[in-house]
Amino acid sequence: MNKYLQIFKLSFQQEFAYRLNFIMWRVRNILQIILTFFLWSSVFKNPQTEVFGYNQEKILTYVFGILILRAIVFSARAVDVAGEISNGAISNFLLKPVSYFKYWATRDVASKVLNLSFSVIEITLLFLILKPNLFLQTNLVVLFAVFISLILAVVLFFCLLFITNMSAFWMPENGWAAQFLFIVIITDFLSGGVFPLDIMPLVLQKVLYSTPFPYLLFFPLQIYLGKIAGLEIIRGLITSFAWVFILLMILKFTWAKGLRRYSAEGR
Amino acid sequence: MKNIKKYLKVWLIMSKNSFLAVFNQRTALSVFLIGKLLRFFFFFGFIVFLLKGTKSLAGYDLNQTLLFFLTFNLIDTISQFLFREVYRFRPLIVSGGFDLVLSKPISALFRSLMGGADVIDLITIVPLTIATFYVAGLLNPSILQTTFYILLVLNGLIIAAAFHIFVLGLGIISLEIDHTIMIYRDLFNLGRFPIDIYKEPLRGFITFLIPIGIMVSFPAKAIMGMMSPLGVIWSLAFGGLLLFLSFKFWNFALKKYTSASS
Repeated sequence: MNKYLQIFKLSFQQEFAYRLNFIMWRVRNILQIILTFFLWSSVFKNPQTEVFGYNQEKILTYVFGILILRAIVFSARAVDVAGEISNGAISNFLLKPVSYFKYWATRDVASKVLNLSFSVIEITLLFLILKPNLFLQTNLVVLFAVFISLILAVVLFFCLLFITNMSAFWMPENGWAAQFLFIVIITDFLSGGVFPLDIMPLVLQKVLYSTPFPYLLFFPLQIYLGKIAGLEIIRGLITSFAWVFILLMILKFTWAKGLRRYSAEGR
Repeated sequence: MKNIKKYLKVWLIMSKNSFLAVFNQRTALSVFLIGKLLRFFFFFGFIVFLLKGTKSLAGYDLNQTLLFFLTFNLIDTISQFLFREVYRFRPLIVSGGFDLVLSKPISALFRSLMGGADVIDLITIVPLTIATFYVAGLLNPSILQTTFYILLVLNGLIIAAAFHIFVLGLGIISLEIDHTIMIYRDLFNLGRFPIDIYKEPLRGFITFLIPIGIMVSFPAKAIMGMMSPLGVIWSLAFGGLLLFLSFKFWNFALKKYTSASS
C-alpha cells in the first residue's frame, strides 16, 4: 500500500512540474464550458422555457455538472500507456514488484484529485461571474446513487482508456490515433460531454443506453437532476456494473494477448 | 508574377512531400479522417436535433444555424489545410533547425507557415464546400450577397493566416507554440454557433479583439443580407490591417532568434 501512496505523491508533484501544461488544459476546459453555457442560455433565454425535459435551471446545472464530472471521470494519466508500449519503457515496469494497472490507477487518482480541486475553484469563479440559477439536489438517497454511478464511471473510463491504449501492442505507431478516435471523439460525444443525449430521437437513445458511454457522464447527471428515478436508476446501475465486468474481462484478455506480442522494441 | 509562379511551384513540391509522408501511415490517415468526419456529423446532428426542438437559436432558423456551422468548418478546414506546418514549428526553433530554413532562397515565413499542407483536411474541403453552398442556396441569396460571402470567407482566411503568423512569432520569442495554437483553436471554436448567442462583453471581445465574429459570423450574416457594404469594407480593412501587423510582428520576432542549439 505504501508504494502506491508514494506513487500518488510523486504523480501529484509531477503534475505541478508542468504547470503551464496544466493551466492551459484547465483554460481549455473553461472555454468549452463558456461555449455550452452561452449556447444553452440562449436557448433558455425565457426562464419558463422547457425543452427536451429541461428547464433553464436544470440545463445550466448540466453544463456546470459536466465540468466537475469531467474532472472526476476523464482526468487520467493512463493516456501515456500507448507511448510506454511503443517506446519499450513498459519493460521497466514489468520487472518491478508493482502491478502495472494499480500503478496507473494510482496516477489517475492523483490527476483526478488535482483536476477536481481546480474545477471547484473554476466553478466558483464562473458562478460568481455568470450568476446562473442552479439545481441543488438534496435527497440523500439520490446523492448516494450518484456517488455509486460515479465510482462505476471512473472504473469504466479506466478500462476504456487502457484497452484503447493497448492497441499500441499491435500498432505501436498509431496508439495515439486510436486514442484520438475512441477517447477524444467517440467517448466525449457519446458520454454526453458535449451535449445532453436526451435531445436525440428515442431510438438513438435506446441504442446508446446499451453501450458503456452514457454511463460515464450522462447517467450520473441524470440521476442528480432527478430526471430518472427508482427502478430506472437501479436498471442503469446494473447495466453500468455489467459493462465494468465485461470491460475488465476484455482488459485482462487484451493485456495477456498484448504481452505475448510485445517484443520490447527500442530497448 | 515570376515570384508568384516560383512560390506556387515550391508550395506544390512541399505539399506533395507532406502528402507522401502522410500516405506512408495509412492507418493513422484513415483513423484521423474518420475522427474528423465523426466530430463533424456529431455536431451537425446536434444542431439538427436541437433546432427541431427549439425551432430557433438566437433568432436563426435551422438552415441559417447550419450555415454558421458550415462556414465555421469551411474556414477552419481550409486554414488547417494551409497552415498545418505551424504545428511543427517548435522543434525547428528548439533544435536550431530553423537556421536551415533561413539559409534557403525562399521566405522563411512562407516555409514555416505553408510548408506542410494537410491532406486529411484537403479530402474534406470539397464535400464541405458543396454542403456550404447547398445550404447557402436554400437561403436564396442575391449575387451581391454571395459576392460579399465569398469576400468575407477569404477575409476570414486572411485573419486566420495573421493569427498563425502571430503564433509563429511568439514561438520564436518564447519557444511556446502548442498551447498558444490550441488556445487559438478553442477560441475559434466559439464561432461554431452564431456569435449572437454570447452576451456582452464577451460578444464584443470575440468580435473585435479576437475577431472570431468577423472571421466566421460576418460571412454567414452577409449571405443572409444582414451586412451593409460599409460593414463588409470595414471587415476587409480590419483583415488587411491584422495581416500587416502580423508581418511586422514576424519581422520583429525574427530579430530575436538566437539560433540556440544549432
